[in-house]
Amino acid sequence: MLHRATIVSMLVLGPALGMAARRHASPRPTTTRANAAPQHAPAATTRHAAERTVWDSVYSAEQATRGQASYNQTCARCHQASLGGADDSPALTGSGFLGNWNGLTLADLQERVKTTMPNDDPGSYGRQLITDVMAYVLKMNGFPAGAKELPAEPDALKAIRIAPKP
Amino acid sequence: MSIVNRSTVLVALALASAPVVLSAQAKPAANAVVPLTTAAGEWPSYTGDTRGSRYSPLDQINKQNFGTLEVAWRFKTDALGPRPEFKLEGTPLMVGGKLYTTAGTRRAVIALDAVTGELLWVHGENEGERGAAAPRQLSGRGLAYWSDGKEERILYVTPGYRLIALDAKTGAPVPSFGDHGMVDLKTDIDQTILPDLITGEIGFQGAPVVGRNVIVIGAAFKEGTAPRSKTNNKGYVRGFDVRTGKRLWTFHTIPKKGEEGYDTWLNGSAEYTGNTGVWTQVTIDEELGLVYLPVEEPTGDYYGGHRPGNNLYGESVVCLDLQTGKKKWHYQIVHHPIWDFDLSAAPILADITVEGKAIKAVALPTKQGILYTFDRVTGKPVWPIVETPVEKGDVPGEWYSPTQPIPTKPKAYARNGVSLDDLIDFTPELKAAGVAVASKYKLGPVFTPPSVSKADGTIGTLTLGPTNGGTNWPGGAFDPETHMLYLAASNSAPSVLGLVQPSKDRSDMDWIAGFAPSAGGGRGGGLSVQGLSLFKPPYGTLSAIDLDKGDITWQVPHGETPDAVRNHEALKGMTIPRTGQSGFIVGTLVTKTLVIAGDPQVTTLPTRARGAMLRAYDKATGAQVGEVLLPAPTSGSPMTYAVGGKQYIVVAVSGGPYSGEYIALRLPSAGGR
Repeated sequence: MLHRATIVSMLVLGPALGMAARRHASPRPTTTRANAAPQHAPAATTRHAAERTVWDSVYSAEQATRGQASYNQTCARCHQASLGGADDSPALTGSGFLGNWNGLTLADLQERVKTTMPNDDPGSYGRQLITDVMAYVLKMNGFPAGAKELPAEPDALKAIRIAPKP
Repeated sequence: MSIVNRSTVLVALALASAPVVLSAQAKPAANAVVPLTTAAGEWPSYTGDTRGSRYSPLDQINKQNFGTLEVAWRFKTDALGPRPEFKLEGTPLMVGGKLYTTAGTRRAVIALDAVTGELLWVHGENEGERGAAAPRQLSGRGLAYWSDGKEERILYVTPGYRLIALDAKTGAPVPSFGDHGMVDLKTDIDQTILPDLITGEIGFQGAPVVGRNVIVIGAAFKEGTAPRSKTNNKGYVRGFDVRTGKRLWTFHTIPKKGEEGYDTWLNGSAEYTGNTGVWTQVTIDEELGLVYLPVEEPTGDYYGGHRPGNNLYGESVVCLDLQTGKKKWHYQIVHHPIWDFDLSAAPILADITVEGKAIKAVALPTKQGILYTFDRVTGKPVWPIVETPVEKGDVPGEWYSPTQPIPTKPKAYARNGVSLDDLIDFTPELKAAGVAVASKYKLGPVFTPPSVSKADGTIGTLTLGPTNGGTNWPGGAFDPETHMLYLAASNSAPSVLGLVQPSKDRSDMDWIAGFAPSAGGGRGGGLSVQGLSLFKPPYGTLSAIDLDKGDITWQVPHGETPDAVRNHEALKGMTIPRTGQSGFIVGTLVTKTLVIAGDPQVTTLPTRARGAMLRAYDKATGAQVGEVLLPAPTSGSPMTYAVGGKQYIVVAVSGGPYSGEYIALRLPSAGGR
């Protein structure tokens, strides 16, 4: 049963909420053009020699099959069996998806899923399940499978970048 | 899991030190109807006015200086909920020097100083389990403003489907509205919301709209391609008194027994079928006292066999009397809907002149890229709409409408079906690869029906339009001076309409969306070709439609060419014109001289940092006249206002790993101080 909300009004001088909300605010107009350029986004242009991309067979077919089963149970209800997305759920395949993640690493993608999914109980999925689903997503985006599984550890995923076909 | 929800509301009242700014909206109205308007440089309603216009007459930011815009302030929304949000879709309102908007994972309401971005107050509701169970979560699209010249109110709907009225000056709930400032929208709705008030599926993530002291509230549900049941709650639309919160009327989007339209639901299917809500923006003509509802699809996005018949008012535009909720007219855009077309965008009110005759019109942009235009008083089509024979499908148990209404004008402004001619054709090899992918699917023009997914046959119907094509909730922008309508369209986001028989514990539907298990897992690769779109450019467009003539005046690709195209090995050395980008979250804003819209995708160019552009086009020609780099795609429709002699543009940005942020842009000072 739902009880009526208790409403607590309090007068504050602003610092707590105000500062929290303005943590990232720039206090004054900047003086450069292209002014809203990313300040916190991971550096997309820094590439290390040893770094791999999603084209380097970074997951196994067996893992993708495992991920497909999890995906259909947990993700498809919003993102669709096709991964095509819906009115309120972004596509997980195609240029819209790759465009948003291009240049970033699989650790970034894993962290985003871990933080926000599932919508009704965010953070409740383990990294292994998320990583298996990521393997399925990679497969459905046409990236090749290989012999080894995609590792679930964020540090290992940091070394694999989402990139256009070289 | 039956813990009592105890919502805590925190209201932070800032010291009233900000300079007093008089609002043009708050002038005493007496009994006259004074429509909400952007004429004085404010933005008092979600689409600027309540007409779906997204028009502002401001002209300080123009084609010469758009590219010099700078950040006036930015407001990161992470701290407004228990975790950051990556899908910030709000369009703020600006009245009297204050910006009002929703933000954060619990859909908090914030008031900001429109010049500095300083937080003035915040209101949040922790709805506990009820919020967690909500079908449409996160920060929503915005809120409504109302004033009688003395009092000013902010109205919004929580994720848990409660209508809240706040004092715009302080953010405190209005004690005289509903129950201490709140109306529980899951009650007093001509049905019992099942299974209970906590988990009962119904909500609303759009912005309420207010006209003539009536608040109109729609209803939304979970994504509906694979529902658990053919039975669901019904998305009735209601009007409420803005002063008291009292329900004034309820419109049954699925008619009750004895009401007109009940007979379009055969076998008594109106009794159990649900959904059929209005989840996108409602439009109000304050002068005529009429409201226009864009109604969505009934239960089962791709399968309607449990609801034989045309299913009024599913996917219909419905015109009601604003005060009484009585129906004036309706027009069903799609008979017996099975494509998830919904009606996805705010109806746009347009006073136009067609062949010398003045018409008060309403225009409906759609996911299928077809614009439907009506006389908004009579409901008669402005240009003839022809009942056109369409393919009858072969899904067992489905009921098919033999025809669908298709307007003679204007012609479709986005792709809405798939033929081999639509496929990638940069090179013969890529074309062949695209044809090989497409061969696994059933293809056809718009209204080609969903098909059974077969392990040894086609995976499903491959099409463009349903779910994520054409124009979705960001809607269009209409210029009342020139009668031009500007529409962004997603032109290459495929939908696969495949059906499978679910297990009984999964759903009581005979068919839901899904794919037959594939032999050997050989269906990888999805719908891309070597990382490229299966479809040829333009991937996304911006169109200008002359509503006096019903013609597309210009159409340009919208969005930077994706990295995958610019960097692709097979395309090296080729000159490829700007392709535009796929993506339906592209809101348009039209000003005195410009059309403004953001890229839906992130790109990285050798000449600049990773990011997404906000673009300005010359509204007369479609030529791009300026661009500003944003850190992430524009995820809500842009708005504009002027305070203290300065014009501002505010956009919500988010997506991928970038959490929600409102960014305000303005021109640099000329100096001299």
